[in-house]
Formats: sequence, C-alpha cells, structure tokens
Amino acid sequence: MMQLETDKIIFTGPVGAGKTSAIAAISDAPPVSTDVVCTGAERQLKATTTVAMDYSYIQLDEQRIHLYGTPGQERFQFMWEILTRGGLGLVLLINNDHPDPVAQMDFYLDAFADFIEETGVVIGITRRGINDHARLEDFQNRLLERGQIYPVIEIDGREPEDIRILIGALLAVLDYQDIPGE
Amino acid sequence: MDQLSQVIDKVSHDSAEHDPEISRVIQAGLNNMLDELIEDCGDIVGAMVSGADGIAWADRLRPELDRHRFAAMSSALLALADNLMRETNDGTPRNVMVESDAGNIFIMHAGDSLLLTVFTRAEANLGMPLAHARKTAEEIGALVIET
Repeated sequence: MMQLETDKIIFTGPVGAGKTSAIAAISDAPPVSTDVVCTGAERQLKATTTVAMDYSYIQLDEQRIHLYGTPGQERFQFMWEILTRGGLGLVLLINNDHPDPVAQMDFYLDAFADFIEETGVVIGITRRGINDHARLEDFQNRLLERGQIYPVIEIDGREPEDIRILIGALLAVLDYQDIPGE
Repeated sequence: MDQLSQVIDKVSHDSAEHDPEISRVIQAGLNNMLDELIEDCGDIVGAMVSGADGIAWADRLRPELDRHRFAAMSSALLALADNLMRETNDGTPRNVMVESDAGNIFIMHAGDSLLLTVFTRAEANLGMPLAHARKTAEEIGALVIET
C-alpha cells in the first residue's frame, strides 16, 4: 500500500463553513492556501474564498496525515474530484448559521456519495450558538432517514482540539468499516 | 451595437446565481476589449474575463463551454501557480500557459481581482498572442480601477 497515496483526508462543505480555518488551526506546517477575493454574490458572506485547495499535514504518532480542503462552490466540482482521488475519508463541515444547514449536509453527502461509499465521513457542525437553524438531532435524524450512520459533532472550527476530535472520529469510522464482514 | 447588447443580456441572464454584480458600463467595456483582442490578433480565437474567485464576467468562448466552470478552472490553475511561485521565490507569475495539439491557453491576472484567459489556434506562435493578451490584461485592470 502506498503511504502517500492513502494517508490523506479531505475537508469539504459549503462556503463559509470554516474549511480553510480548520486546516490552518491544526496543521503542523504553514498551510498552502489559495484564498482570493470574492467578486460575486459571495462577497456579502465573506471577503475571500478558496479557489483551488488548502493543503497541510499533521503528524499523528508515526503517521503523517495530509489534509486537503476543497473549494465550497459547486462550480469547483472538478477540484472535488481531483482532491478526493486516493483519499482516506471525508470531513464535512456544515455551518449552522445557514438558513437550512440540514439541506446543505444532504447536498454534500450526495455530491461526495461515491467517495463516502468507498471510505467514510464525519460531520462537524460549526458556528453553533450564533444563529442556530438546526439541532444536532436534526442532522442525526436526517442521516438515519438516509440510512447512513456517521458521527455528527459540534465543533469550533478554529479550535485545534476540536478538529483533532473530528479526525479521530473519522479514523474510528474507517477502522470500523475495515472490519471483515462488516 | 445590437449584437453587443444581446451578448450583455446573455451574460446577465444565464446562471443568475453566479453572476457578478458589475455595472453595464464595465460589462460593455470588457466585451469591447475582448472583441478588440480577438480582432487585433488573428491567432486568438477566444477569451474570457473572470473574477479571481472563478465567476465569468465577460467571454468570447465557444457556446458549448460552461463559462463558470471554465472560469473556476482558470482561477484554480492561476491560484496554484501563484502559490508555486510564492513557495519558490516570492514572485508573481506573469501567466500560466497550457500548450496542446488543439491550441494554447494563457491565463493571467488582470488587475487585483480579475483574470484574463485567452485561447489561441494550434498553429499560433506564442509571442504575439501573449503580447496582445498582456496589453489587454493591463487595460482591464485599469478599467476596473477607474470605474
């Protein structure tokens, strides 16, 4: 098994969910980031946006885990395909400040369905407590309706410890799926 | 002029959710510049101005191309090139060049927040189209600052 190919986790989610911040928060090296100024309607949401990818890595014991963040917008779908190739699993960040965060979760679960099927996903709910539009149970119930069981964790995307918990949960999901007969 | 306004309408109306909030003055200016670029340099067969965040502002592309997807790809490539230069020697790339049997594509900054992407014929030499494109990119940068 090629180490470099497989030890790679992909962060995705809608614009403003905190993918770039999350990777910056836990990385062991200065992250590569492709933030540019927003010119479209997104300008009202935030000043800059990722157009190619974020990249960094963390060292877990002897294992180096490469972290890639995708652009959020659907027009960058080609980057989603490029970045997930050879990935271990997906971290999906959902901004609970959005009017319909559960639908956003649905959208990204569908968009990354093939990759999730092959690997696994963990869902981090960010921006809780500002202007909440859904409860944690709403996300879990929606996952149950979809016939999927994955961790949904409330996090502060800027807190290194929170991101570590997410990655730990993802690795646990992947371990569980690797059990023969499952 | 009639054709121009049709193009402006097309640019304004398709995929409304992506459309940049720019004035008709800028839109018309950009369309004129792209027309001139293609007219002045016979090797250039298509061109697009897009936001650095991957939204098409004006284009002279083959209609079957999804211009916003294309704009997104241009900005991703140029953003990676910017990073590559920053990692190695702190410069800013003048352009990204993709050469293929079917033709060449140049992608370059046009002011702080825009990109110019240019397509050439397969047989084109590289110097002339690049020189024309760079001049247009400067004009685009100046237009957006002025207005």
